Amino acid sequence: MLFQITEKIIRVLKGVTEPRIAVKDVVSEPAHKSPIFRGRHEVRYDICTGCDACNKICPVDAIKMKPLPIKRPNKVPEVNLAICIFCGLCEDVCPTKPEKAIKLSGGNIEMLTDGTHEALDNFWVRVNIPDEWIENKKREEEEKARKKAEMLAKKKAEAEAKKKQEEAKNSNRANVSSKPEKGEEK
Amino acid sequence: MDRIKEVLNKFDMEYVEDYKSTWIKAKLKNKNDLLKVIESLKEVGVKTCSTVSPTDFIDENRIEVNYFLEDLFNKKNVWLKVDVDRDLEKCEIDSITPLMPSADWHELESFSTFGVKFKGHPNLRYFLISSDYYGKFPFRKDFDWEAHEQNLIENINSISDEFFEDYEKNEKTIGHEESKTVLNWGPTHPASGPIRLKVFINGENVEKIDADIGYVWRALENLVERKDFVGSIVAVERICFMDNPNPMICYSQAVEEIAGKEITPFAKYMRVILGEVGRIASHLISAGSFFGTMGLQTFLMWNLDIREYFLDVLEDYSGARIATASIEPGGVRYPLNDYKAWFETIQKAIDKFESVKADIDDIFIKNPLMSSRAKGNGIFTLNDVEEYYLAGPIARASGAKIDVRIDEPYAAYGELNINYVTCENGDARDRLYIIYKEIMQSIDLIKQAMKKIEEGIESGEMNPTKDHLIRMPRRMPAGEAVSRVEWARGEMLMHLVTTDKSTSPYRLKMRAPSVNHTMVLNKLISGKTLSDIPLLYGSMHICQGDLDR
Repeated sequence: MLFQITEKIIRVLKGVTEPRIAVKDVVSEPAHKSPIFRGRHEVRYDICTGCDACNKICPVDAIKMKPLPIKRPNKVPEVNLAICIFCGLCEDVCPTKPEKAIKLSGGNIEMLTDGTHEALDNFWVRVNIPDEWIENKKREEEEKARKKAEMLAKKKAEAEAKKKQEEAKNSNRANVSSKPEKGEEK
Repeated sequence: MDRIKEVLNKFDMEYVEDYKSTWIKAKLKNKNDLLKVIESLKEVGVKTCSTVSPTDFIDENRIEVNYFLEDLFNKKNVWLKVDVDRDLEKCEIDSITPLMPSADWHELESFSTFGVKFKGHPNLRYFLISSDYYGKFPFRKDFDWEAHEQNLIENINSISDEFFEDYEKNEKTIGHEESKTVLNWGPTHPASGPIRLKVFINGENVEKIDADIGYVWRALENLVERKDFVGSIVAVERICFMDNPNPMICYSQAVEEIAGKEITPFAKYMRVILGEVGRIASHLISAGSFFGTMGLQTFLMWNLDIREYFLDVLEDYSGARIATASIEPGGVRYPLNDYKAWFETIQKAIDKFESVKADIDDIFIKNPLMSSRAKGNGIFTLNDVEEYYLAGPIARASGAKIDVRIDEPYAAYGELNINYVTCENGDARDRLYIIYKEIMQSIDLIKQAMKKIEEGIESGEMNPTKDHLIRMPRRMPAGEAVSRVEWARGEMLMHLVTTDKSTSPYRLKMRAPSVNHTMVLNKLISGKTLSDIPLLYGSMHICQGDLDR
């Protein structure tokens, strides 16, 4: 009697630890998985150059460029999955190397939606860029712009100094009065 | 060839020149001579009209009508051009349908899309487009698509009137004598696909069949004009998904011809493999649905199971199962990074088919019930093939030796060992047998091509990661090309016109075999009984995708 009860308890406990029959998730694990399956797009905003090539080649106009407040990239692609035909041409033309900024191959097979009108309207691959990244990028760009401006100013000053020197030399050689020129400069 | 040239030179021609190995290209100066030219061409054996393709040159105020005429059995083809005026009232030309019945629906299509009136056509009507189509003649370059769409949205409710008119007319004309009536077979019949056959019956006997098509007309030929040369492949492949890679091969060949580029041997063999895999995928459905139309779905289920393995092959290569977009001008689209793994997938698919083959033979191919219904039913003779231009497996089932892969070798078919596969009787049963035989032939071709690629890679002649694509120019020169491939359901012909420095095609005509196969249904089914309709319809392997385009 006691033996039977313990046996039953052990059996039940075994059942808890053993894997169930329906363990295979058919949504994320298809029967056949191609190494370059063209699935849901992955957009890498950090390497995108905003060149607009994917938008131009798209045969069904599924790609819309999202404008950004920074210069490079000044826009990134967003894909309307309700229109997209998954031809992969956007990936082909993407110029970034070695990794593509927009990528379908090896992509995610999971693409489920309700199929209602509202759900399809919001069926997009959105690019969520953290504000900090944009702020950083902005600061970097400002820094760059400042440096560039500084460099330009420096170069200009140098060039002017050179010009003056040459002019001075010329005027010295020719011994012509340089008053009118000075007047112009003022 | 010389005799055809002699005949053509008798008339007032702008030029007569050779084109490719099997074509003669000629331009007729006066359109009134057309019928005489066709008559004398018929005398030297050119009896079939492949298609009629107008091109709208809006700047020069003319429409150029291209006739593609073929001598099917002697492989001599004529490409005849005639200019007609572009103004709608003067846009007229003699119809060649009384001389060549195969031109019938192609002329109707040209009339409906370009407005070229064919004088003397037995029943000139709007075709593909409805009679209340706003704006008319959608493929003309000055057609206003936006106004058309606006009109369509506004009048969406009045469009179904035609059906009621049709019904009332039938009520009056047919009368109530005997048991005559009109049955609508389709567009939602389980075996029909999106096509409506108006079946005029008396009791159980079919008197006449009138096909109403255009349910899946997407104006692909016009969509192509709005995309660039590479993006066009996604419009071209949508002609029919059952055999996906072959239309893209056809289109790419035309572009390569205009650009004057030759693709690499590796890409050629890849095209053979992809094309044959597509053919098998299509044939498996064709054969399965032939039984499906008789009410036996088991074979279709078995075939769909086998087909999955062949779709895996396409998926491993391109990343998609059905809409592969795997071939583009300049070669094939993807490099073959791991060719051994891919060949293993192919071998797996072939093994799967061969493991089921014995059962298929016993249960379905030798099926006595199928034989009793299909044997001797719906026979096409060689004359019918020539008259209505039946193509591909339908023609070969009647014993016609027609196969573009052999007649005008493209891709790497010229270097492979390939023979005509034919049956003799040309009845519905033979049209199933030929499909089955062709699957074997395709498997043989795939094996040959795989061997060649393997040899090429081992000897270092081919580089599977770099040879797949050559560089194509971004802008095409002005030109014109005709390209043909043997599609799963017959010959596919594409006529591509480009203008100078263009980034998109100026005009692309796609000729697909199902048009002729649907056209001939009236002749095939008239006089038979109602129960023969699904059987004979299924035996023609028609796909509405390439029927409407």
